[in-house]
Amino acid sequence: MKNKNTTIFKQISEGFSNTFRIWMREFQLIFSDVGVMILIFAVPLIYPLLYSFIYYPEVVRDLPIAVVDLSNSADSRQFARDLDATPDLKVAISSISMEEAILMFKNSEVRGIVQIPETFSKDIAMQRQTTVSAYADMGFFLYYKALMTGTSFVALETGNQIQINNLMNEGLTDRQAEITAEPVRLVDNAMANQAGGFASYGIPAALILIIQQTLIIAIGILAGTARERHIFGTLVPMDRKKMGTLRLVIGKAAAYFSIYAMLCVYMLGMIPEWFGYGQSADITDLIALITPFILSSIFLGLTLSVIFKNRESSMMLYLFTSIPLLFLSGIIWPLSNFSPVWLAVREIFPSSNAIFGYIKMNSLGASIFETRKEIMSLWIQTGVYFLTACITYGYQVNFSLHLRSELASHPYREIRQKIGIGG
Amino acid sequence: MGVGREKLGAVRKVNRAIEYVVANYNIPKQKMCDSGASVFRLQANIKIARKQSHFTEPMKSILINIRKVAIREVNRMSSRWLYILVVLVLPVLTILFFASLFKDGVPTKMPIAIVDLDQTATSRKIARNIDVTPLSTVTKNLQSETEAMSELRTGNIYGFVVIPKNLQADILASRQPVISYYYQNGFLIAGGLMQNDLTLILHTLSGGINIQKREAMGQAENYIMSQVQPIQLSTHQLFNPTANYSVYISTIVLPIMLQLFILLMTVYSIGIEIKEKTSHEWLRLSNKSIFTAITGKLLPYTVIFFTVMMFQNFMLYKVMQIPMHTSLGWLMLGSLFFVLSYQAIGVFFIGLLPLMRHSLNLAAFYGILALTLCGFSFPIEAMPPVFQYWASGFPVRHYMHIFQSQILAGFELRYSILSYLYLLLFLLLPLTIINRLKSALIYQTFIENVHKT
Repeated sequence: MKNKNTTIFKQISEGFSNTFRIWMREFQLIFSDVGVMILIFAVPLIYPLLYSFIYYPEVVRDLPIAVVDLSNSADSRQFARDLDATPDLKVAISSISMEEAILMFKNSEVRGIVQIPETFSKDIAMQRQTTVSAYADMGFFLYYKALMTGTSFVALETGNQIQINNLMNEGLTDRQAEITAEPVRLVDNAMANQAGGFASYGIPAALILIIQQTLIIAIGILAGTARERHIFGTLVPMDRKKMGTLRLVIGKAAAYFSIYAMLCVYMLGMIPEWFGYGQSADITDLIALITPFILSSIFLGLTLSVIFKNRESSMMLYLFTSIPLLFLSGIIWPLSNFSPVWLAVREIFPSSNAIFGYIKMNSLGASIFETRKEIMSLWIQTGVYFLTACITYGYQVNFSLHLRSELASHPYREIRQKIGIGG
Repeated sequence: MGVGREKLGAVRKVNRAIEYVVANYNIPKQKMCDSGASVFRLQANIKIARKQSHFTEPMKSILINIRKVAIREVNRMSSRWLYILVVLVLPVLTILFFASLFKDGVPTKMPIAIVDLDQTATSRKIARNIDVTPLSTVTKNLQSETEAMSELRTGNIYGFVVIPKNLQADILASRQPVISYYYQNGFLIAGGLMQNDLTLILHTLSGGINIQKREAMGQAENYIMSQVQPIQLSTHQLFNPTANYSVYISTIVLPIMLQLFILLMTVYSIGIEIKEKTSHEWLRLSNKSIFTAITGKLLPYTVIFFTVMMFQNFMLYKVMQIPMHTSLGWLMLGSLFFVLSYQAIGVFFIGLLPLMRHSLNLAAFYGILALTLCGFSFPIEAMPPVFQYWASGFPVRHYMHIFQSQILAGFELRYSILSYLYLLLFLLLPLTIINRLKSALIYQTFIENVHKT
């Protein structure tokens, strides 16, 4: 009985020390490879800074527009001044003809045109409805949005004021007129990203995506390099001693996890604080979401790494997924408009749920309970990809072992020497 | 028989001798061959005449060399799966992915909730009116604001409207009740659309109440409209009648995806020769001319990527029905320039950093950055000035301008001609590193250190 206990204890301690050995070996491989170091450290450090600086203005302010003022009256000039006063628009030029305005538009000197009709002032005086036309640049979503926000705001406000004036002329009091014009008051509440800043839309998603993509590509590069380095192109070295599959997978995962846990402090902690992206998330909530995310990314990376035969393969074959994955996450195109096929594909990659969950937590302050769907999916992915990683690595370990025993009986002494038997 | 074989051997010997003399003493072949008239010389003449064309017509020999290199490249391409995947399979898959993802053009039926605390005829009418807009659909009727907020945080709904208690009574008593609406603004398109949609529908409803009151007062319909909405805003989309998100997104994202493949493939196809030390064989085929070597190597990719880009254009302008206001010729020219400029940048990268692992990293960094710096997501004019200059270094930005100005809006050529020139300018980029690349190919000094274990 005592004897049995000690063997189990010995086995466990040996397992731990082996895992630790593989962990350290992986560290050594990572830190001695400049290409991988750039990918794992330089990219996560530089990209968030670069994006933050590029998007620093966050919103489109003072979009240059042309006002084609056919009315040329006090009212229409006031309307143009009101347009200019909005934060979204800047009247670059007024009192020109439509042809001239279009010419300026073609030259990208103005990004939108507002036309005030000839009868503008007369219509208001005669209490007739008048129509102001806005011509938007459809090339840029944000330009379109700025023009629409600015002009509809001014049209509504001016219209409201006219109505109230008319009502007061009819003998209503100030308050009565206001209530008649606006029987129900509407309150607009933008949740998360109140200012509508562009960086706050894009950067949280980019941060999560960078973590997953650099991880998977780096693991792929190291696997491809291992195959190039090992004689006979095996993924697992043909050491004399058999490497346990579980120890191999866990040891490698531990190495990446420890590096990325530290990177996350910078990417998800410091960057949002420095640049003021939403940070309503509680640290424990974030850990609950990010832990399964990093783990599932690592195991997915390990699973995929067996298909990369060369050092360059992962970059060549996997990098392109970055852009489609951004769209698959559902932050650009609403998920309710995804076809079932793409919803299924979406579930393959940990980034989809992690991006969605991170934005919910970070910008809306969603709790663990409210993010349960994402966290559950990430743990399921972790489990599934852990199994696939074990299966594929188990196959590779056995393959190396098999090849070694086959080569051991090879007549050429040279080969036997290379794999470390005899001679 | 014996004599015949002897003759043939002699012809070969003479040939070799002539070649030797030509090569070493720089004497024109013609002279060597005209000096005699023996049978051997005659036969040799015929062979030499065939070879002479190489020397008398240098252009033709360059073309032949380019062809040789191109054929070698096609053979290399068919030897590895990676080539086929990167130049053909993956680009076509991404085209189909984006075409399928944005097939609706405009999001519809986004889920929202209504918290109806009033439960009267008026509040139910408001709820119904919100439901019928094409953009959103009411999936939930909730009891409290906190519950709705939690649903919003969970991500089940994109927004909700709170109809207060006593709404109907307050309206009738002119107490101006407050309707609040909330929407998830963490998503660019969904947030913006939700805001527009809810604002519009609720303003219309509020105006409707105003109209009803005035009708009750006996005012005329025309008069009411002029009072309720004195200034009407009519929106026109300049030069593009469809408010379609495919137009915004697919038309730019697809070229961005393609440039990524072109960059990686160009760097890889040259870098692998350095890595696997096959560059001597490659240069020998091109008669040691680096221009011939690169042209011949990249030619098959130019053809394939151009074809892929035309397939992409076919999907965009024919299948997805995005308006195209230019001729097929200009479209092809723009696409060709696009492919060529990115190949030039790829050559520049591998010449700058002949170690493939580094140049691939550089290509990836640059390629991914195009999404940001082409100005499709966030307009370039709104970026800090440093990045505005930086953005000019991305061909996709110029291509985007050609697309918006010439293809989509149908403006005259003079508004986009500068962008075509910019694209051509990128073709000069490889000249700056051509010598560095050539020496890397000849001396093979950039060897990746691989320790075999």
